Amino acid sequence: MARVAIDHLSKTFAPPVKDGDPVVAIGDISLEVEGNVFVSIVGPSGCGKSTLLNILSGVETPTRGKVSVTEDDRQAHLGYVFQDARLLPWRTVMDNMMYVRDDGEGGAAKAARYLDMVGLSHTHEMFPGQLSGGMQQRVGIARAFSVEPDLLLMDEPFSHLDAITARSLRDHLQELWLATRKTVLFVTHDVVEAVQLSDRIIVLAPGGRIFDDINIDLPRPRRATDPKVATLQAEILGRFEEMQPGAAAS
Amino acid sequence: MTAAPVAIPEAPAPPGAVRRWLSSPVGAQVTAAVVFIGAWQLLTLIAPRVPGPIEVAQFLFVEITGGSHGGIVRGQFFQHFAITLQRFSVGLLIGFVGGLLVGVLIGLSGLARALLNDTVLVLLTMPAFVWAFLTTMWFGITWQAPVLTVAFTTFPFVAINVAQGVRAITPELKHMSTAFEVGRWRQFRHLIVPAVAGYIFAGLRFAIIVGWNGILLSEWFSGQAGVGFRTRYWFDANRYRGFVGWVIVFIVFIVVVDRVILNRLQKRAFHWRDASEADFIEIEERQVGL
Repeated sequence: MARVAIDHLSKTFAPPVKDGDPVVAIGDISLEVEGNVFVSIVGPSGCGKSTLLNILSGVETPTRGKVSVTEDDRQAHLGYVFQDARLLPWRTVMDNMMYVRDDGEGGAAKAARYLDMVGLSHTHEMFPGQLSGGMQQRVGIARAFSVEPDLLLMDEPFSHLDAITARSLRDHLQELWLATRKTVLFVTHDVVEAVQLSDRIIVLAPGGRIFDDINIDLPRPRRATDPKVATLQAEILGRFEEMQPGAAAS
Repeated sequence: MTAAPVAIPEAPAPPGAVRRWLSSPVGAQVTAAVVFIGAWQLLTLIAPRVPGPIEVAQFLFVEITGGSHGGIVRGQFFQHFAITLQRFSVGLLIGFVGGLLVGVLIGLSGLARALLNDTVLVLLTMPAFVWAFLTTMWFGITWQAPVLTVAFTTFPFVAINVAQGVRAITPELKHMSTAFEVGRWRQFRHLIVPAVAGYIFAGLRFAIIVGWNGILLSEWFSGQAGVGFRTRYWFDANRYRGFVGWVIVFIVFIVVVDRVILNRLQKRAFHWRDASEADFIEIEERQVGL
């Protein structure tokens, strides 16, 4: 079972201009995620959501604090879905799936199965440039699931898509997750998306600190139009208002 | 009030077949070649010591097919050409592989950039004839001199272009590769090489031109055989038609390599781009089934 342990993590970037102040992306975060859960990290722009995922994936190093991502006392194997599909434009869809794998024919069968699961079994020999944005993102999702990660990191994967495509992909992601039950850390600024998909929502505030930690106990599969989802979303948005400067005084 | 009828101008007549052909790329290239040969022929009227195109063509025919003229043995065209081509290929291979590896290193590592970038720039400024002299001084009249002249002249062109290409790779794709723990060799093969293919071709194109210049100079100075040696042979013999004939062989080789080999390789390397442009399909988002 995947376990994410974050202990007093902070990340500060060098000043963007000479003699400027350093940029605090993450203030001081301590957090644990364990088991086959879907956890969303929600917050306004610049609160350190993507930086947190980058640190967990090893792309960035923390300024202070510790993170560990383990699976049964070994380093966990990660999958990543990005804001854009990040496919190699000069490789076919199947070659892109195989790029992140180090196995042979067995791997190809597995990659084909996940492509089939996202409805793209007819695109194996196509290049990414021949696919629409939504289809490319589906390849990105299939690629991340196909490595059968212990922990799946998703960084606003639907934010670049139109509303209808994004809604459709959210439903399909939920179905895919129910079939695989991976541990997921899902970054988003969309509260509806978070409520629909998550078991738990961690709200980050500007300055990179945890503002709230909410458990979502609604039956699955959930639909965005479900009144219970809408009610919970309104409640969470209400809590968001407390985050705004001056809210405490008023 | 009724609107006055508007006269619709007649569409211009389509251009004739000759005009269409002349304005096509092939027609333009043939026209340029004809104009060049015509200007060359005119030049011989002003400067009689300049051999004309027909004279040079006759010389090349005999040089290729064999025979003798004025006591000078001919018919060794393919022998000399093969020797030069062999030396050139080996030198280019060394320069290309070395340039590719050093270029990738400079592009990926700040330390390698600090160590090697200036050295490569210095090598880039060295004219081919300097390498031809130096290698002759170091190795004498041997096969190593022309081979290394080609290697030294081609190496920096490939290295500098590849380094630029590697640095231009989008960080998003590197980030993706890191996040999925893709191995270094796999990244080199599937990410770096295809991403810098355009830069590799640009470097290779320059490398072939300067390398071919280099081998001509090296063989001119120190060769006992080869295209450069043969060009000098006719120059020393005061047979300018022979000199010009071999210079034309030299130019034709470069043009053929560029048009036939490099263009085809480039087309093959970028077939994904053609496919993406030609066959883009906007498929309705399908229902995704489990």
